Order: sequence, then C-alpha cells, then structure tokens
Amino acid sequence: MEFTLKNFIFYGFALMTVGSALLVVTVRNIVHAAFSLMVTLFGVAGLYVFLQADFLAATQVIVYVGGILVLILFGVMMTSGRLEMRIHIERGQLLLGGVVSLALLMLLLTVIANTPAWKNLTDDGTELPPTTERIGELILNGPFLLPFEVVSVLLLVALIGAALISRKEVRD
Amino acid sequence: MTLQHYLVISAILFTLGIFAVLTRRNAISILMGIELILNSCNLNFAAFSRFMTPSTDISGQIIAIFGIVLAAAEAAVFLAIILAIYREFGSIRPDEVDTLKG
Amino acid sequence: MVVSLISIILLCPLAAFAIFGLLGLANRRFPRQDYLSTIAMLVALVCSFLLLREVVPNPEPHTVNWISLGGVTFSMGFYLDSVTVIMLIVVTLVSSLVHIFSMGYMHGDPRYPRFFAYLSLFSFSMLFLVVSDNLLGIYIGWELVGLCSYLLIGFWFEKDSAANACKKAFLTTRVGDVGMFIGMMMLFTKFDTLSLYGEGGIFAQAAAQLSTADMVWLSIAGVLIFCGAIGKSAQMPLHTWLPDAMEGPTPVSALIHAATMVAAGVYLTARMFPILTETSSLVIAYVGGITALVAATIAIVRFDIKRVLAYSTISQLGYMMLAIGAGSYVAGLFHLTTHAFFKALLFLGSGSVIHAFHAMHHAHDDEHEHAHEHEHGEEHILGSEIPPDQDMRNMGGLRHKMPITFITMLIATLSISGVPFIFSGFWSKDKILAGVLGRAMEWSSVHHYILFIIALSAAGITAFYMFRLIFMTFFGEPRNQEMHDMAHESPKSMTVPLIVLAILSFPVVNTLWFNKDYVKPPPQPHLHAPQHAYLSPDSQTGGQGAALSLFGVSEAFAAEEEGGHGTHADDGHHGHGPAHTIAMVLSIIVAGLGIFFSWLFYHRRTLSAESVATTFRPIYNLFWHKYYFDEFYDGVLVALTVWKSRLFAQFDGSVVDGIVNGVGTVTRDILAAFVGIFDNRVVDGLVNRVAQVTWAVGGRVRRIQTGAIQTYLFVVLAGIVLLILIFRAL
Repeated sequence: MEFTLKNFIFYGFALMTVGSALLVVTVRNIVHAAFSLMVTLFGVAGLYVFLQADFLAATQVIVYVGGILVLILFGVMMTSGRLEMRIHIERGQLLLGGVVSLALLMLLLTVIANTPAWKNLTDDGTELPPTTERIGELILNGPFLLPFEVVSVLLLVALIGAALISRKEVRD
Repeated sequence: MTLQHYLVISAILFTLGIFAVLTRRNAISILMGIELILNSCNLNFAAFSRFMTPSTDISGQIIAIFGIVLAAAEAAVFLAIILAIYREFGSIRPDEVDTLKG
Repeated sequence: MVVSLISIILLCPLAAFAIFGLLGLANRRFPRQDYLSTIAMLVALVCSFLLLREVVPNPEPHTVNWISLGGVTFSMGFYLDSVTVIMLIVVTLVSSLVHIFSMGYMHGDPRYPRFFAYLSLFSFSMLFLVVSDNLLGIYIGWELVGLCSYLLIGFWFEKDSAANACKKAFLTTRVGDVGMFIGMMMLFTKFDTLSLYGEGGIFAQAAAQLSTADMVWLSIAGVLIFCGAIGKSAQMPLHTWLPDAMEGPTPVSALIHAATMVAAGVYLTARMFPILTETSSLVIAYVGGITALVAATIAIVRFDIKRVLAYSTISQLGYMMLAIGAGSYVAGLFHLTTHAFFKALLFLGSGSVIHAFHAMHHAHDDEHEHAHEHEHGEEHILGSEIPPDQDMRNMGGLRHKMPITFITMLIATLSISGVPFIFSGFWSKDKILAGVLGRAMEWSSVHHYILFIIALSAAGITAFYMFRLIFMTFFGEPRNQEMHDMAHESPKSMTVPLIVLAILSFPVVNTLWFNKDYVKPPPQPHLHAPQHAYLSPDSQTGGQGAALSLFGVSEAFAAEEEGGHGTHADDGHHGHGPAHTIAMVLSIIVAGLGIFFSWLFYHRRTLSAESVATTFRPIYNLFWHKYYFDEFYDGVLVALTVWKSRLFAQFDGSVVDGIVNGVGTVTRDILAAFVGIFDNRVVDGLVNRVAQVTWAVGGRVRRIQTGAIQTYLFVVLAGIVLLILIFRAL
C-alpha cells in the first residue's frame, strides 16, 4: 500500500475515531467522555467524506455535534447539577462486559475477514458529483418520500413525547 | 482503502459501544454508547453503499441519514426518560433503578 | 349556476336540521331554532324562484351528475325540468308559510325547537325527492319524508292516539313501499340502471326497446311502483292512515299531509309517465277515480274539521292520479300545484280555528271527552274520537269572530269546489275532467267514460262537503256559546300565511301551467291508442296554446269564451275541443248543485241532514264507517296476524318449551351430577397441582430477575455470541 497524502489522512481519521471512542468508554469524567464523543463523531464525519458522502458528513456534524451532543450535555447538567460527574465502574462487571465485547469483536472481525464478497473491494477513486441534489430528489420526489414523511411524523411524536415525559408535574 | 478498512473501524466502534452499554454505571454514558453503536451502523451503510453498489446509487447514504434522524429522536426521548427517572429515583444509575427486580 | 342553486336549496334546510341535531348531541340548543329553520326555508324559496329564471328560457332538462358510487349504475343526480322547478317552488313556498304559521301555532309547545328541526328535515327530504334524477335518490327521499311524517304525526307522542297514528302511517305506507321497491328492482334487472334520464337511463332504454319491450313486465313494474304512490298518496286501499295522521299538529297536516308529501306519490307517478303502459295507466286511473269518489263520500259525514279535510285531500289526490292515469300529465300536476296551495290554506285555516278554541280545550277537557264518548260510543276505531276543539258541531257563526280566517278559507273552498273562472281549482279540475273526457271520446273507451262520470260526481260531492264545512264552521248560530265566547282571531304570524295562500289560490300565480311551452308532457311510447291513426304528429306541438303568454290569464279567459278550442288541448291528443266545453259546462253544473244542496241542508235547513241519514241508513252507515276499511283491517288482517301469533305462541309454549325444559331437566339432574363429581375431583385436582408446581418454580426463578437492565443486556449478548459460535461450528 503506497503511502499517499490521502491514505495518511484516512488513517488519521480512523485513528482519531477509534481512539476517541476508546476514551468515551473509559474515562471517568462524564463531561470528558462527552467531548471525546464529539471527536469520535467528527472522525466518522471525516470517514464519510472519504466515502464520497458529503451531505451525510455535513448532516453528521450538524445533527450529532450540534444537536445530540448538546442534548447529552444538558442531560448531564440537569441530572447532576454540575458538569463534573464521576462514573462508577465495578470490577466484576467490567470484566464480564470486556469478555463479551471482545468475543463480539473477534466474531465480527472473523466475519469481515472471511466473507468472500467483501474482499478486495478497493475504492476506485472516482469523484462523484455533490450528492445533496440527488438526495433531495430521492427524498422529496422519489422512492424515499414515504419513509421521509414517516420519519418526520416520528420526529414530531418523539418531540411531543419527550416534552410530555419530562414535564415537571403530570396532571391527570 | 478497501471496504474492510471501514468495516473494521465500524466493528471496533460497535464493540466499544456495546462495552459502554454493558459496563457504564451512568445512564448518560449508556446513551453515549448507544450513539457509538448507531454511528457504526451508519458508517456501515455508507461504506456498503460506496463499495457494493454502482457509484450512482446512494440509497445507503439516505438510509444513513434516516439513521441519524432516528438517533436524534432516540436521544431526545432517552434524555426525557432519564429526567423522569431522575425525578422519581433521585439517581440515574441503572443498577439502582431496579423496581422490576423479582 | 343551476347546480349551485339546487345545492343551496337542499343544504339550507339540511343545515338547519343538522345544527339542531349536532347541538343536540352536545345537549345544547340553538337559541332560535324557529328563526333558523324559517330563514333557511326562505333562502331556499328565493333560490327556487331564481331557478325559475334559469329554466324559463330553456325548458330542456338539465341533468347534472353529482356523485358516482362504484360503477356507473348508481349515480346521484339532479334532474331539472319545468315540473321540478314548479314543485320546488310549491314545496319551498308552502313550507315557508307553514314555518311562519307554526311560530304562532306551536308557540309555547315544550318541544317547540324540535318541531322546526323536523320541519327542516322534512323540507330537505322532500326537495331531495323532487330533484333526484334516479329512482334510488327518489326512494331515499321517499323514505326520509316517510320518516319525517312519522316523527311529526307522533309529535305529541304523549297522546296514545298520536302514537298509534304515527305507527299506523309508517306501517301502512311501508306496505306500498315494498311494492315500489320490487318495481324498482324489476326495472333494474331489465335496464341495469336506476337512472331515469339521459342516454342510458330507463326512459331512453325503454323507448329504444319499443318493439321488443316486454309489455307485461313493464306494466307490472309500473303498477308496483305505483303501489308506493298508493301508500304515500293515501289511495285506496291504503288510504286509512291519512285521516289518522291528523293527530299531528295542524301545520304538519297542512305541509305534509296535504300539500307536499302526499303529493309525492302523484309526482312519482308523473315521473314514471314515460314508461306507463296502457294497462298500468288504466289501473292508476281507476285507483285514482275510485279513491276520489269514495273519499269524497266519506267526507260528507265527518264532523271533525280536520278529518273532513283529510278525506278531501285523499279525494283530490285521487283526482290527480286519475288525471295522470288518463294521460293528462299537465292537468294532474297543475291540480297538484293548485291543490297544494288551497289545501294548505284550508288546513292552516282549520288550524287557526282550532287554535282559537284551544284554550277552551284544556279547560274543559275531561267534560267534553266524556260527553263525546257517551254520544258516539260506537266509534272507537283508531283515531275516531273527535277532540272538542276540532268538532264542527261545536263551531258555527265564527265568521264575525275570525274574519280573516273566514275569508281566506272561503276563497280556498270556492277554489276546491270548482267555482268557475276566478279560482285556480276550477281551472285545474276542469283540465282533468276535460282530459279524461277527451281521452274517452278520442279512444271511444268505455273505461274512460266511466272514469269521467266518477270524477264528475266526486267534483259535485266535493263542492257539497266543502260548503258543509264552511256553513257549519262560520255561519249560523254558535252551537257552543261557551267556546264561541272564548274564540278569537289568530295572531299575525298565523293570518299572514293564510292571506298569502289565499292570494295563491287565484289562477294569476299559477299561470305557468297555462303556458304550453313551459310544461310539456313527456312522450309515452308504450301507450298505444286503440285507433293509432288518431295520433297525428303535429298535434304534439299544438300551435294555439303557445299563443298564451306566461301571465296571459285574460287571454286564457278570452280563448275560453270563444269556445276554448285547443286552449287546454295540452296533452297532445285530439278531441279536447268539444270535450273541453262539455266538461266545463258539466263541472260548473255539478259544482253549483253541490253548493246549492249544501246551502239547503246546512244553511237554510230546508232539508234535514238527519232525516236523510235516517232514510238512507245503510248508505249513511257505510259512509260513517268509512266503508269499513278500518274494520276490515282490524277484523281480518290484524285478527289473522294475531291468530297466527297465538298459534305460534302456543307451539312455542308447548312444543319448543317442552323440549327445552325436558332437555334441561335431564341435563341438570343426571349429567350435571356426574360432571360435578368429575369436576371436583379430577379437574380441580389437576388445576391445584399445576398451580403448586408453578408457584414452586416461580419462587426459584424470580431470583434471576435482578431488575438491572445491564445484566439483561449482558445475558442477551452473551447468548448471541454463543449462538453464533455454535452455529458456525456446526
């Protein structure tokens, strides 16, 4: 594998993603974990760019980093009253969880390595035109119109549901 | 870059997410784990869309977008539930919330 | 434009009812339901007049598709020709006036708003019936007006007589409706559609199959559909419900049971005009003619003012049926219109009289009812009791007390009696008589000569009993001084409709019917004159009639004086010229005779009605007992039903109950004992054992339910990993 700038950047992003994800699950300070998650999300967005998915990458940044992460931070503040919050981890549970997770990882890697259809599929490097327009077409004027509408209803339901559940007092 | 590169990254993310969900003693950390899992799924969609289908077909990306939207909805509801639980039990440690204990 | 106007006409009353109904669901009430309903009706009235302008220049039928349900066969639609428009005007006009009248008449009734809501519903249904272009729509409207009639007859349902009368009306008309439905289905099987007009409509298809059409089939279908009209228009032998329907409030009698709903039967028959065959026409004519005569004779001996009018209505409806059966399409519908106005006026006038006596009624309720029970102990057939405020024997001399009511009712009476030239009833009745006689002369048909004589005698009797009513009510000395003193003229809301209707009883406003270009009878391809050569094509258009302008009554008079040749030769048949003159002269003579005898009997009292009644006791009894129709129905049909029910009850009681009881005994005493033991020992034992085992297992298993989600998830994932490993290994 030749060492090009592109490869270099790719591996950089991959490392950034995996490394920060590792931090997310290991650090004890929940706020730090949240910031690590942000880095992970950025990394995934970078990987999307490598997959020629520009719109997806933008969405990832806007929705995840701009929305969900902020939401998580709010959750942290509202449940602990402060931004530093220690995460308790029990040794036994850690061990068991680690074993299962490792087994799962091994399993997945075996599958990835042994599936013939997935082998030797290299990126042909073709530059696709920007996807935003086509995604718009597909969502609003194509086969994904119905799912799109369903998802918007779902979002609405989630919004109302969230507001209802988190209300201070529930009158009957 | 091959498909397997992406699949490996995604597998690692997934496993880490599972690990967080299994071991963390804080509901919000569990949420973060879930987000990792969802991210690995979306990454898989995008990767398969790129490598397994003609380059003009971007259905996988759209599914990934839907995945993001679902994640947003899920996060909102999840946090609402966490708030409600916090108000009810005064804690968001999942091992302390065990009313279902037999 | 036409469609929107019709929609407004239909929607206004419907909305008025819907507002009542919907608010009623919420236990609310629109503050002034009476204004709401009345205004809705007035709007519909204005729209109807606008429609007149739409159609006048172009008498072609407008067919507008409304809704298509499923296939092409069931479509709803409007059919608008000149007859429809005139019917719309008649219905909305009478309905509006009745609404206004009711504000006075029903004032203070505990269910006052509901009354207006029902009136609105009725108006909607009737209008819907009128504008429908297919049999299905007509049938829907038909049943709806039947329902409203039921609701309104039984409006004072606390009265047993009213409750019974509404049931009777509903069931009796239902008998006819079954026939009508069968007739519709016969047409449907033949033509695959219920639409009447247009390309694939029944009429077009029937006309196209002129040579191949199954005349017997068509005749039977026609007669069966006419059965519906028999029920709804109270023709013999289903007429008995209409007199009893007078238990309803008087405005209802005026609107539903005189002017509009009962005329729906005539309207339906007229609508079916193009497919009437010779046989079905003759059946219709005979039913109508006999009804006209029989009902008129019954009316002679009634004392209840509303029942006189009820039988008069039946009789006049018979007239219209006769006209349509004899092919005088225009005459029949013309009479329908004029009758609607003057009969509504008569009913409202009688309502005004009753209203005047009403206060008395309550004060002396018990006393009078008791007295009447004593007097007429023999008449206990349903609805035969006469409330004192409706009994003409209590009236008399009212013309000074109630001048407006008197004058307007007198005008209506002159009209219905056929007093010549200045009253509309004369023209329409004369047209019918001329039509029947014309048909008779043209075909040299014995049937039609007989029918003409029947119609003529009915006309004379009509004049007689109507003047009897006037003389007994308004002339002479007060027969019941106490009630007379209490009587008073009705309030404005009641007298104004009376005056309007009185104006409508003059022919000026009915001139549309004189315009031959406006109303044309549809062709009757299946009706063959015995001598076919008589029908020459140019007679279909008859040029002379067109000379009559829309409001040219004076010209009509002029033409009439000149011998009336062809002026009323409306229905495209020859022979009306001499027939018309003869018919007119004869009708004037019989009307004059009727009025004269009435005057002798009831005003001058040179002749005594009582002595005549004694002399012709059997005939008097026949009239008094209304030809024993009710007795027949009670004695035969009801008795048969009751006897059949008793038989079945007995069978039910002895055989069916016996078997059931026997099986019950066996089951209880023998089977149940065994089953009980088995149940206690085996089943209960098993159940208890199972419960114990479950309990024990549950107690141990519950411990693995930690309640911690993460543990559950851990187990699930471990299981997944293990399962995959195992299956990969396999």
